[in-house]
Amino acid sequence: MSDVALISGGANGIGRAVALKLAASGISVIIADREEAAGEEVRRAILAAGGKAEMVQVDVTKAGEIEAVVGGVFQRHGRIDILANIAGGSFYRKGIEEMSWKEWKEVLDVNLKGSFLFCREVAPVMQRQRRGRIINTASNYGVTGSALRTPYSAAKAAVIAFSKSLALELAPYGILVNVVAPGPTDTPRVMKNWTPETRKLRNAEIPLGRTGRPDDLAEAFYFFCGEESSWITGQTLHVNGGIVMP
Amino acid sequence: MRLREKVAIVTGAAQGIGRAIALGMGREGAKVVVADLQAARAKAVVDELRASGTKALAVEVDVSRESSVKSLVEQVLRRFGRVDILVNDAGIYLRSLVAEMKEEDWDRVIDTNLGGNFLCSRAVVPLMRAQKSGRIISISSRIAHHGAISGAHYAASKAGIIGFVKALARELGPDHITVNAICPGVADTAQPRGHQSETVLKEKLRENPLGHALTAEDLVGPILFLASDAASYITGQALNVNCGSSMH
Repeated sequence: MSDVALISGGANGIGRAVALKLAASGISVIIADREEAAGEEVRRAILAAGGKAEMVQVDVTKAGEIEAVVGGVFQRHGRIDILANIAGGSFYRKGIEEMSWKEWKEVLDVNLKGSFLFCREVAPVMQRQRRGRIINTASNYGVTGSALRTPYSAAKAAVIAFSKSLALELAPYGILVNVVAPGPTDTPRVMKNWTPETRKLRNAEIPLGRTGRPDDLAEAFYFFCGEESSWITGQTLHVNGGIVMP
Repeated sequence: MRLREKVAIVTGAAQGIGRAIALGMGREGAKVVVADLQAARAKAVVDELRASGTKALAVEVDVSRESSVKSLVEQVLRRFGRVDILVNDAGIYLRSLVAEMKEEDWDRVIDTNLGGNFLCSRAVVPLMRAQKSGRIISISSRIAHHGAISGAHYAASKAGIIGFVKALARELGPDHITVNAICPGVADTAQPRGHQSETVLKEKLRENPLGHALTAEDLVGPILFLASDAASYITGQALNVNCGSSMH
């Protein structure tokens, strides 16, 4: 029986690459995303390549929806081996004096609360299995901060501390919790804001001279799903071409 | 096989973590250079590698001596013609409180653990630059972040490795060479047996959130990952492999 992986934000960008990578390795993938059409496209791509995939629509800020998604996955598969919380985004670029409480809440809810809610629902399943991998997504901004992205930086730093705490809580059950922290990555959402000049400037700041590809990130997520990382927990792996070395 | 035809030098490969890495690299198809001060033991590891069909070379080296490192790389080039991967694992751990620490001991630990990283890396950098590819992986330690009583020189050397790795990663990034460190927690090898009883060690090994006694073999997977194409966008990082015993 193949492992079952639940991937929030699996319809686009990094989440999509992770879904494709895990499915290509024989893992049954459940794409949980707000964007149904994009998620369906990933599901069809996986099926066409001979993999196993489902798509479920979810708003990661709604506890009831997450409970229903996790319950449904457990009912259908009887297990959840991997949870990758990838849904996220910085959404706003503005100074703190212009950041509304509503905007702050939105960024914190999607990036932090969504991971909390998914972990809370999946942890009991993994505890019963005495086995499981949880991989949360931070950002280099969670370590360095970023002007005009105060809520995003706060949420991503919080994801790191949350994951360390959860790693300690779940270690007695053999469940590992780690974090992948992407740097600037070529996802459609990031790219639409970049001119060729911006790209040139950014590339010059990155020791490896290029922005990340979703596939680079997918490899790191896959590493944390496999046997080779069996004794790593509570850690954050930065996949960023060397732009930040915390 | 993720490292087919790659040439890997592993220093300190005659025993413990280095030996496990050398055997792991062999399993992934690399040609492996077992570089160690202990020539006879290095030869034994090479015999093991060859028995499973791996092309391997034993080289006696003192990583703290410039001429010895130079000769190592010359021998590797004569035999295999290139260097794709360098794993800096050679290290020593002498026990002493700072107040009683002899200058010679301080120098020996820093020169071997940190200076060895410098000398071996410097020796392979021109080759990797010419190839526009390469992987340098250095073995640091949990002690780099955590410190250790009677191990100030060791802690300093291992923390120094992390600083060195970050700087070198910045220097070599434009040539597509990645430089990373692994920070193992205390592992079940010969090294910690030098200064504590078997009972104390066994207890200490399991004092971590996962309750698992880390072995040399457990470190191989993360190192193979960093050496492989899968990690081509990871550089300047220090990855903790410690069963959750510290989350720096």
